[in-house]
Parts: sequence; C-alpha cells; structure tokens
Amino acid sequence: MSQLSRIGTVVKSDPMSQDIFPPRVKRWLFTTNHKEVGILYLVTSLFFFVAAGLLALTMRTQLSVPNNNVLTETLYNQFVTVHGLLMIFWVLSPFAFGFANYILPLQIGARDLAFPRLNAMSYWFYLFSGVAIIMSFIFGAPDLGWTLYSPQTAFQFTPTIGLNVGAAALILITVSITMSSVNFLVTMFKMRAPGMKLRNMPVFPWAILVTIFMMLYAFPSFLAAVLLLYVDRAFGTFYFSSIQGGALLWDNVFWFFGHPEVYIVLFPAIGVIADVIPTFTRRPLYGSKYVIGSMIAAAVISFIVWGHHMFVTGIGLTSTKLYTVTTIAVSLPFDVMVIAMIETLIKARIKLKAAALFALGAIALFVIGGITGVYLASVALDHALRGTYFVVAHFHYIMVGASIMGLIAGLYYWFPKLTGRMYNETVAKIHFVVSFIGFNILYFPMFLLLDMPRRIQTYAPDTGWGPLNSLATIGGFIFGGAQVLLFLNLFLSQRRGPPSGPNPWDGWTLEWSLPSPVPAHDFDTIPSIAEDGTYRFGNGPGYPNGLAHIDDSKVGNGLAYSHLEGMSPWPLVMAFAAFLFFLGLSIGQPSSPTPVSYKPFWPLIADGTILGVISLYGYSRERFSVHEESHVESWPFREVPNVKLGIWTFLGAEVIFFGVLIGAYFFVRTNSATWPAVGELFSIRNGFAMTLVLLTSSLTAIMALASAKIGSRNGLIAGLLATFGLGASFLYIKATEWIELGTHGVFLVASGLPATSYFITTGTHGVHVVAGMCMTVYLLANTLKGRYTKGDHDAIEHFGLYWHFVDIVWVFLFPLFYLI
Amino acid sequence: MAVSNTQVIFDNLYGIFTYLAIIVGVIVFALMAYLIIRYRAKNSSSDPEDTPRLGRIPTSRGHGRNVLITVTLSTFLLAILIITSFAAVDTLFPNNPPNATWCYSIAAYNQTQATGQSCPRLDVTGHQFYWVFTYPGARSYTNFFRVPVNTTVVLDVTSADVFHDFGIIQFKIKTDAIKGRTNTIWFIPYKTANYTIQCFELCGTGHVGMIATLNVMNVTAFQNWYGSEK
Repeated sequence: MSQLSRIGTVVKSDPMSQDIFPPRVKRWLFTTNHKEVGILYLVTSLFFFVAAGLLALTMRTQLSVPNNNVLTETLYNQFVTVHGLLMIFWVLSPFAFGFANYILPLQIGARDLAFPRLNAMSYWFYLFSGVAIIMSFIFGAPDLGWTLYSPQTAFQFTPTIGLNVGAAALILITVSITMSSVNFLVTMFKMRAPGMKLRNMPVFPWAILVTIFMMLYAFPSFLAAVLLLYVDRAFGTFYFSSIQGGALLWDNVFWFFGHPEVYIVLFPAIGVIADVIPTFTRRPLYGSKYVIGSMIAAAVISFIVWGHHMFVTGIGLTSTKLYTVTTIAVSLPFDVMVIAMIETLIKARIKLKAAALFALGAIALFVIGGITGVYLASVALDHALRGTYFVVAHFHYIMVGASIMGLIAGLYYWFPKLTGRMYNETVAKIHFVVSFIGFNILYFPMFLLLDMPRRIQTYAPDTGWGPLNSLATIGGFIFGGAQVLLFLNLFLSQRRGPPSGPNPWDGWTLEWSLPSPVPAHDFDTIPSIAEDGTYRFGNGPGYPNGLAHIDDSKVGNGLAYSHLEGMSPWPLVMAFAAFLFFLGLSIGQPSSPTPVSYKPFWPLIADGTILGVISLYGYSRERFSVHEESHVESWPFREVPNVKLGIWTFLGAEVIFFGVLIGAYFFVRTNSATWPAVGELFSIRNGFAMTLVLLTSSLTAIMALASAKIGSRNGLIAGLLATFGLGASFLYIKATEWIELGTHGVFLVASGLPATSYFITTGTHGVHVVAGMCMTVYLLANTLKGRYTKGDHDAIEHFGLYWHFVDIVWVFLFPLFYLI
Repeated sequence: MAVSNTQVIFDNLYGIFTYLAIIVGVIVFALMAYLIIRYRAKNSSSDPEDTPRLGRIPTSRGHGRNVLITVTLSTFLLAILIITSFAAVDTLFPNNPPNATWCYSIAAYNQTQATGQSCPRLDVTGHQFYWVFTYPGARSYTNFFRVPVNTTVVLDVTSADVFHDFGIIQFKIKTDAIKGRTNTIWFIPYKTANYTIQCFELCGTGHVGMIATLNVMNVTAFQNWYGSEK
C-alpha cells in the first residue's frame, strides 16, 4: 500500500469534509487528484471562453456598421478590456493547464503532481480570480484595454473601483500561476518514471516545461507591476502617474512580462499539435529534438524582444533597430517548428480525424499569424501599423488560430481518455470546417483594415471601413455559432457516446496505456522505460499492445482507489479567504477631501485574514503525506528533495520580483532631475544597524539548523528564538525610522518618488521579514512538541533558505537606498 | 496616389514584405495541401514501418541538414526585410529630423529661408479628448492645423494627461503622445487635401471622438490664412 500514498491520504477524519457534502459534491470541491483538478480547469476555462466570446460577439455587432449604437462607448471599452484579460489569463493558459494536469503526469509516468494540495489551491485561486474579474462589472469594469497603460490607471483618470477589483483578480491569478509553475517544475524534474529521460519525454510535457520556465520569470515582473499599480491607487503614490516613471516604466515592466506571455499561451498548443500530428500521420515527429531546441531558443529570445511593443514611444533609433533584429530573429525557431510538422507528413498515412484537422488547421493559421508578425517586427512598418486592426488580426491568428484551434485539437484527442467515450466524428468534422471558414472570414478582413484604429467603439461612414467590418462580423457569428457544435457534441457524447477503450487512436504515449477514464490511482505500479525504449509496468505483466496492467478488483468502489481519497477542504477555503481579503482591499470609498486614492473596506479584509489564518492552521495540521518514489528519473536534481527544489524555484521567481521593484526604483531615480543627497533623509547608522542585525539573524538561522541536525532541542529553540528576536529588532528599527520620517510630515509615502520607492521597496521587504518570523513561530511550536531533532529537520532547512534570501535582498537594498 | 513622402516609403516597404509573404505562404500552403492529399490514409495502405506504437518510445528521426537549410533560407529572406526596414526607418525617423521648410513662404521667415535654417517645429499636444496644435507665437488651434503642400513639416508630439497616440492615417505615420516626453515626426505632404488624424491608444471614454484634421493647402492659400490670423 505504501506505493499508493503518493495520491495523498488524509488520515485524520475531518467533520467538515465528511458530513456536510455528499460524495458527488465533495469529489469536486475537496479533490487534490490531478485528474479531477484537470477537468475542473478545462470546464472552468471553457466557461470563461464562452463568456469572453460573447463579449467579443457583442463588440462585433457594435462594429458591424458605421455609427452603430448597440453599446455605449464606456461599455464598449469595458468589453474590450475584459474580453482581452479573460481570454489571455482565464482561458488560454488554464485551458492548456487542464490538459497539463490530467495528461502530463500520466505521460511522464507519475501518479500525481508533486504537491497535490497546492495544485488544488492553484485551481481555486484561479476560479476566485475569475469570479473577481467578472464581478468587476458591478463596480465599473476596467475600461482602458488589457494592457492597462499608465498613467490612465491613476486614480485621477480612472476613479472607478472596478479597476481595483480587476487588479486584485490579476494578483490572485498570478499567485495561482506561480504556485502551478513551482508544482509542475518539481513534478517534471523529480517524478519522471524510471527511464523516462528528458529526451524521452513527448513534446507536450516539453512544451509545458518551457512554458513554466517562462511563467516563472515573466509573471513576477507582472506581479510587481500590478502591485505598484495597486499601491498607486490605494495610497495615492505616483509610480505610474509621475512623468519620471509613468508611461514608460509601465511599458517596460508590462511588456517584459507581456511578450513572453504570448509564447506562454502559444507553446502548450504547439505541444498538443506535436502530439496529435504523429498519432494521426502514423509517423514519428520529424526532428523532434530540433522542435524542442527551437522552443527553448524562442523562450530565451522572448525575454529580449519586449521593445517592439514600444517602437513608437520614442526609445531611440538604435534601440528600435536592435529590437527589430531580435524580434525578426525569433521567427527562426518558429520556422523550424512549422517545417518539422510539415516534413512529418512526408510518406505518412494521414488520418483526417477531427483532432488532426484542427492540428493541421492550427499550423496553417499559425503560418499566416507568424508571417504577419514579421511585418510588425519591422520598426518602419510598425509606425503605420501600431494600434490598428492589422495588429488585431495578427495576434488573433496566433491566439485563436494557433492556440485555441490547437487546444481544441487536444480536446478531441483526449476526450475519450477523459470520459471513456467517443464523440461524434461527423459533427466534429463539420465543427472544424465551419470554424475554419468562419475564422478566416472573421479575421482576414482585419488585415485589410490596416488604417482603422483598434479599440474604438464606432467609426464614420466616410472612412470606408464599413463593408470589411460587416464581413468580419458575419465571420464572427459563423465562428461563434460553430462552437455550439463543439459543446453539444462533447456534452451529449460524455453521456451517451460509445465506449472508447483505452487507446482509440493507436497513440504511443503512456496515457493511452491506461483505461479510459483513468482510474483514480493512475498506474497500479509506476511504469518504467527500458534501455531499448519499451515500457514496463512494475513486475506485474502488462497486457499486450503496451497496455498497463490494472487490477480490476481495485478499480471503482475499492476504498484504496476511490476518487474520495486525498481530500482536503483547505485549498478551497484558503483561496476563498484570499479572495475576500483582496476584495476588501479593492472595494471601498474614495478618500476625502481630495480623492487621489480610496479607503479599503476593512470588514472584508478582517474576514479574509481570519479565514486565512484558520485555513493555514488547518492546512498545516492536516496529515497529508505525499510519498516520494525512489528510483525515479530526476536528472539534474537527483540529490534535491521535492520541497527543496520547490523552494529554490519559488525563490527564483522572488529574485525577478525584487529585481523589478529595484529596477523601477532605478528607473524613476535616473529620470528624476533631483534626488535627496546621501544621509539627508535616512540615517546611515540606522541602515547599518539593520544590516548588522539581519546578517546576524542569518547566522542564528544556521545555528538553529546545525542544532537540529545534531539533535539538540535547546540549541534549536535558542537558534529560532534568536532569529525571531533579531527579526523583531530589525522591524523595530525600521518602524522607528518610518515613524521618524513620517512625523517630519514632508516624507510620507505619497510625498514624492524618493519616498514612494523607499517605503514600497523596503515595505515589501519588511512583509517578507514578517512572513519569516511567522514561520519561526510555527517552527518553535512544533519544536516544543519534539519535532525536527530526530533527523526530520527539513523544515528548518527550508526556512533557512527563505530567511537567507530575505537577508540577501536587504544587502542589496541597504546600499541602494542609504549609501548612494 | 502619392499623398506624402512617408506614405510612399511605407507603401514600398509594405509591398516588399507582402510580395515575399505571398511567395512563402503559397509555397508552404501548396506543400501542405499536396502532402495531405498525397499521403491521405487509404483503406488499402498500411502503416509506415516506423509508426509510433504504444509500448515503446518512437525512434527519433530528422536531419540537422534540413533544419540548417530552412534556417539559412529564412535568414536570407529575413535579412532582406531587416535591411530594407532599416533603410526606411533611417529616412522616416532619423535621430535628427531634416530642416522644416513650411514657413519659407511666410514673409516673416525670409531670413530663415535665405540662410537655409530650419523653420520652427509645430507642437502637438494630446488632451482627453482633443488635439491642440501650436504654431510659433503660441498660436494654437484645436483639432485642426494647416500646412503648405510640398514643404517639410516637423511635429513635436506630447501629451497633457494620459497616454495617447498621434497618427495621421493617410500618411502612415504615428507616434506616442506621452506626458513628460516629446516624440518627433516629420513628413512632406504631396497633395492638397484634408487628412484624418486620430488617437490610436485607448485613452478613456471619449477616445473614439479624438479626431482632428490636417488641411494641406497650396502655398498661396496657406500664406493668406497664416497672414490673416494674428
């Protein structure tokens, strides 16, 4: 039975999760199983897809003829904004991560993700963030485009609190995505089946791996940007509304995130296509290692092309030329990917099932989207095309044409695996044909509308833009209507479709070796890959044709394999607490007398905090063990336990986060004509004292760990107490400094950029110190109960890693703020 | 149909891009269509020898040589696009714009013309939700301005509030209007007519109506207008 504990078992019975809800509901609310979570992701993302699609159709109706008045301008702008945000954050990535949850662990021969409860929490954060963004309509939804350009985000230009709610939603989903990235990264590096070397992984897991690396380095930049935006609105600071920071600061941090984000939503679809094509052409993917190499190359380059979104901001001729070259260069790896897919068709035996049609269609549309992307990479053409429908056409060919079509290919491909039933192939083929034609009628005319500004509610008849817009609207309704076929087909088929059997498409990847739908425990015993590339399923005999052995007696009602295994209510509760907290922070009254900011709604914040503390307590008290298999493939992290790798990864994201905060500080400082001299505002002595205190606390943290290792309980307690005390002293000096600066009255958080950047950067660091101190309290409590000194000192070590990181950040902040 | 030097440069460059795009697109789509039809599964045919099967990792295939050929060919095509783009942008958006000559027909600027100096630049300021155009002497106009045909006009564009984008649609040029920054664009109009200026960055409720007119006049008409308004 020990091998089954990977699924995660709650030993302690929990009244909340047992009595109130019937099993059918519990299965979905409290699940931590990757397959249930995967289906939740898929269903939720499709729901948002419909919502965002309906917004788009309403906009297309408004634009169908000149001087139309279906939507007011404000409502139109809100629709434009929320449509973009929803599709990018709440549809494309979560759609892909539904597959990644369900399929990816199976493809690499793992039984679940590394941290199942964290995975469930990612989902609930995602769901509640989506609720928040939809709720923002109640408070006046954001209406300035998904790119949220500053200084329009400043309170004086956008006083509606709907923008706060939107920003809160973005923070919540960023948290969700960061948790997911850490989880998937650890899973893929630490839990591959024996013999499942990185080079043996199918392209889909590879695509997800590359995607996650981009997420890990792009999203912290976004989080920092949205946080600063939030601070501007809540405290009346000027990061983005001053002329020293302002528009260009936002542009830089936003697009540093924004361009990788385009590939973040694209690569999973390419991974799906690269899995679908070989199955339906009956040939291995041509040059798969070049495809993977190209993905890595494109991912790296994606971080140095953001300037092409700023070609006309006036960043200078040399910069724009450099960005032209890097942006055009990024098309080379995509060339390789497309050519490899096409070469796979040579001497193949192509079965044009719906999945294959969507995959091939996606490639064709991607080619058009890619070629037109080269136009926009040229700084000379971009001066004319920027902000026009040419851009809209281009990125919809990528995001709808390649991403959504590719993911729909995945939906048809894996539907039998998810449900155990076949869909109706004829209806699916009609769905493809109508979608493909509708898509091109919808978006191709937009290339020809290269004079028409995007994001305008209406236009005059004499512009001549009417006929092409009418055509696009017709295409929009054809494309939208086609999706009804998809949903009807899948909905009816999952109830009444004929049974599919384990491997209806004759696919080669590991998920097809399992029954459909996959039993709760996935594999009886984890598979392995022999030297010659053949699969083995433990010592038990596999069925012929590479099917995994599944003990039928254990499938279904057997307790050990039930879907109700490994339940936890806390991910849901914690996500809800965070939702309440941020909602409270967002909705409130504008502060008087001069409304430059607003006052948060404290009761909700309090509720959220209390619920958060309760769920943290419940989460940590719950005995939820995840057993780590031995003998798995974990190159290059053989010696690193899962949790530790998770923490390293998380700290990597933190580096980017603080990097952006410090970068923002540099940006506003170099753009400011004057800046207070060294020692004028801050006492160097104070700063030096804080540095000393914090560095000493690193030492005491090391002592705590050393004591734990040799089993000295008193030493451990002393070490932790000292660390806590030093942390408290640091905060004490910091607080006196803050109060001192505040009582002068001239140096408040909103009294100018030197003050803002100082308070926000050191404040964020202070919050990290507080979090670390909370950890020491938790560790102390457990130490008093006798833990950590019997060779189980991992937690102390993990805390140490975090604490050292927080100290190192201060080592950077001290000279930057106090000494220069 | 030439309406300005900038539009001519854009059209030429856009033509080169589109020409190559069509060639590449036709080749790729023809190849895809041919392969899909040629190798469509027939009942009589059987799976290729190396069909991936459940139960083993498929053998990897593919020549680095083919990848190299693809990348080389693409690099060659892209190099053409980069070089032509750079040539265009060097003219359109140089670090130092050429001398403005729009004022040479005005008597007060005789000396400027004689010494070959640059006329003053015109200031353009974006506001929520209108454009203000300012001539020398703080003469300013809302939502329209006038220039003489076949002269060089240099504009300094900025914003008084949020992020706008100033675009003269038919001239195919635009630049962002950002508070605290000045972005410069220039053009030579070739034809007397009215041209549409529109804001290309969503700037709030009212953005849709942030439209102005550029009136390109013949030199005498411009002289009369400029002289008659003091």
